[in-house]
Amino acid sequence: MSAALRSYGAGLPARIALGLLVPLALILLWDHQARHGGEHAFAFVSAAQVAGALRELWQSGDLLTAYGNSLRNAFGGLFWGSVTGLAVGSAMALLRPVDWVLTPLYHGLRQVPLLGWLPLIGLWFGSGDLSKVIVVSLSAFYPAVLYTYEGLKGVEARMLEVGQLYRLTPWQTFWRIRWPSALPSLFTGLLQSVAFAWIATIGVELLFPTGFGLGTVMQHGQLQARLDIVVVCIAVVGLTGFAINLLVARLSRHALRWRPVRT
Amino acid sequence: MNIDSRAVVRTPEQPALRSGALQLKEVRKRFLFDQRELTVLTGLNLDVHPGEFLSIVGPSGCGKSTLLRLIAGLDDDYEGHIALDGSRVAGTSLERGLVFQDHRLFPWMTLEQNVAFALIRRDMSAAARDRLVREHIALVGLSGFEQAYPHQLSGGMSQRAAIARALVNEPKVLLLDEPFGALDALTRVHLQTELQRIWMSQGSTMIMITHDVDEALYLGDRVAVMQAHPGRIAHIVDVDLPHPRDRAAPLLHRLKDDILAELTATDAPRSEAVVPLTRRRSG
Ligand SMILES: Nc1ncnc2c1ncn2[C@@H]1O[C@H](COP(=O)(O)OP(=O)(O)O)[C@@H](O)[C@H]1O
Ligand SMILES: [Mg+2]
Repeated sequence: MSAALRSYGAGLPARIALGLLVPLALILLWDHQARHGGEHAFAFVSAAQVAGALRELWQSGDLLTAYGNSLRNAFGGLFWGSVTGLAVGSAMALLRPVDWVLTPLYHGLRQVPLLGWLPLIGLWFGSGDLSKVIVVSLSAFYPAVLYTYEGLKGVEARMLEVGQLYRLTPWQTFWRIRWPSALPSLFTGLLQSVAFAWIATIGVELLFPTGFGLGTVMQHGQLQARLDIVVVCIAVVGLTGFAINLLVARLSRHALRWRPVRT
Repeated sequence: MNIDSRAVVRTPEQPALRSGALQLKEVRKRFLFDQRELTVLTGLNLDVHPGEFLSIVGPSGCGKSTLLRLIAGLDDDYEGHIALDGSRVAGTSLERGLVFQDHRLFPWMTLEQNVAFALIRRDMSAAARDRLVREHIALVGLSGFEQAYPHQLSGGMSQRAAIARALVNEPKVLLLDEPFGALDALTRVHLQTELQRIWMSQGSTMIMITHDVDEALYLGDRVAVMQAHPGRIAHIVDVDLPHPRDRAAPLLHRLKDDILAELTATDAPRSEAVVPLTRRRSG
């Protein structure tokens, strides 16, 4: 694996440096626009201003409070969405009648964009944290169902025959054959659930005015024409999404270490 | 040649008398395919002796795999009679092991876990299980690779592992469906020698399908020649040579010519005028 990288002449530090190249260039360009952009300068803030906003938000404690609230909603929604998605997807994959009844409904509902549900959810559950967690759950639920279903359905008949040969019970067949063979698909689903859940968390905070999360801070920044605050929020959201993604990818690589390394 | 020095006929104290007599009477198998009925096997009679090594050769598509799947019990929708030691075959059983052409090891399990998989339904202590697994990994010459995942094993090693998994239950009958078909010629020769050694030390009845007539003759006490459309056993050839065998034995070469003549004759539309074999016995 690292041999393949080395053949490109790049170790891990070098790769990190390469990954930072474009973001740094963009920041420099941004900073330049802010200071010498002429008539467009109002749409950009300088790096110094952004650093100031960050210090301000940090010292007031607002950033930490908002960040904590957002993370709590994101993980709550991710948890409930994944767990129910796993259960529904498994039932659809393993039980014929459930498959017949739920699969068309699922594919129908999936066509409705998440935003389309907001008015209804707001009406039913208000615009508090409950509604937010429900929206986030929904965003994590769809990929969880899809990839659980595909994974469990995709078990090769030739592998199930080995279980038949050694007289496994249905329960043993599930845990020893179906589940591990669905694992790669489940992790693909989790990776998507995580990404969507985080996006949905911030999105719903922007749209529902109650509570106090990163999206709310961003909203306030926009209303007060504090572009520097908006930029700080965008950076925190982006970096957090990146970090969570990396974490799940790591986890998945460890759990699936039995797979041949793809080169 | 001084056959005496290497003629190791199986001795009574070896567990050769585990029995494992397989009887097939008027077995018929039909598939419903595309609304049409396809008769794959018909009028198939076969008596496999306890502890013997029976090779089966035949043209591709004549129903060899189907036959093995019936004996294994993976498919029990057939007409006729299949019995192991007098009791009718219905469903799979740990008494009947099967090695597929593709090794079918689980990629998420180590070699050790794959072999132990066959013992899931066996009621035994963890220590006894570990010992059996260790012994059978050693039997196929894979000691030291217990923790390897299948993708880390070569084709030949994977097939050895599959054999260990099939043997760990000490089945009365081991069925092998072209187990070496996908391997290169050198590995194949090597594994044939190994399989002969394993068979001699085990005492299981073994039935091996192969498209390699050399392999069938080198290993088989008898070689059953199948014909197609519909699949049936045309002849059974006795290979009257003690094990372990010498590949260069003149008898093997003579029999090979006969069997090849028979197999190529069956390519033509069905005719009764097959070349008579020197050693021939009606099944
Ligand atoms: N599940 C099935 N459904 C329909 N036809 C089958 C099925 N399995 C095998 N056959 C047919 O039975 C015949 C014998 O197949 P097989 O036993 O695999 O042959 P062999 O192993 O001798 O090459 C083939 O014509 C094949 O198409
Ligand atoms: Mg076949």
